Amino acid sequence: MGTIAGAQQILAGLKAAGIDLVSSVPDINMLQLINLLYEDKEIAHVPVGREEEGIGVCAGAHLGGKKPAMLMQNGGLLNSCNGLTTTALQFGIPVLLLIYYAGDIGDNAFHMVGLVTEPVLQGLGIKYIVMRDPTKVKQDIAGAVTLANSSKRPVALLLTRGVL
Amino acid sequence: MKRFECLQAIAAMINDELFVTTAGGATAEWNGVRPSDGNIQVKTLGLCSSIGLGIAIALPKRKVFIFDGDGALWMNLGSLATIGLHQPKNLIHICWDNRQYESSGGEPTAATAGNIDFAGMALNAGIKSSCSVTTVDELKQAVSHALSHDGPHFIWARIEAGRTVAPPLKYDELENKYRFVRYVEETEGIDILRVPMPASYLLK
Repeated sequence: MGTIAGAQQILAGLKAAGIDLVSSVPDINMLQLINLLYEDKEIAHVPVGREEEGIGVCAGAHLGGKKPAMLMQNGGLLNSCNGLTTTALQFGIPVLLLIYYAGDIGDNAFHMVGLVTEPVLQGLGIKYIVMRDPTKVKQDIAGAVTLANSSKRPVALLLTRGVL
Repeated sequence: MKRFECLQAIAAMINDELFVTTAGGATAEWNGVRPSDGNIQVKTLGLCSSIGLGIAIALPKRKVFIFDGDGALWMNLGSLATIGLHQPKNLIHICWDNRQYESSGGEPTAATAGNIDFAGMALNAGIKSSCSVTTVDELKQAVSHALSHDGPHFIWARIEAGRTVAPPLKYDELENKYRFVRYVEETEGIDILRVPMPASYLLK
């Protein structure tokens, strides 16, 4: 589920980094964060049915002047690979990918998804940070958004339970 | 009706609307009929409806057209449910249905057998303004209605197969993106792409 304090810290980090639209597909570990997004008035929340749709929504949102992020589980990262490649990377779209790292060390579900997550990001040429330290949440989000904007590419944050 | 004559009819009805065009024949034909920096091509089959939704949400006062195809819509049918959920009033989604993957050589799609009712699917996904058109006059009426009423709108345009020879696109996807974004910046009066000051200028 995550903790309310963890979710509040991530939401504050997103706002401080200028993110103003979040598209999402849920995961149980991000429940608190998603609940906050449903209530928040400053960030437009755009739930979608499948993660690749969300990559399209984020790309369109950027073209229209928003600062988008896509919130999903790493299984959704796998669902998004063509959209990330032929839309986000091929058109040079900055988008923050907030990915729950299922199957990470200490997580008891989806170990196969966890196994391929980092190699897939490396194969796509998407830089990422594995977030384990709650004291660095704001700094990691700000750094990822800065790089996404300057490189005009997706940048990923892999969220573990340590920061949720 | 042929897609090309439909596109010519639409071009005569619009001003500064934004157009998101599918990975398929509609893109080259539309850019031939109406060359504009307000057109953005799509390279991911199926994703034009999601990209159009994102633009429509970001710019709620701007009319946004999506030119989809039957193969592309089949790949991202869920986008109809997502559009039905978010109800963007400024979105006009047209599916050019030629009942084949024309750009891939003419293989059948889910529409080929004639069992699918895309307009009914859109309606039942919550897109209340949804219709089917088979003539250019019907299409013009539907587009005219969509331009003058709140949406979201879905138009199932049942066209003949066959492409019209159109010139190749003038810009690749990167240049297309930059031109589109600059066009949005100018016409909306907003900043989207800003280059930060070099660090040396920030030293005190």
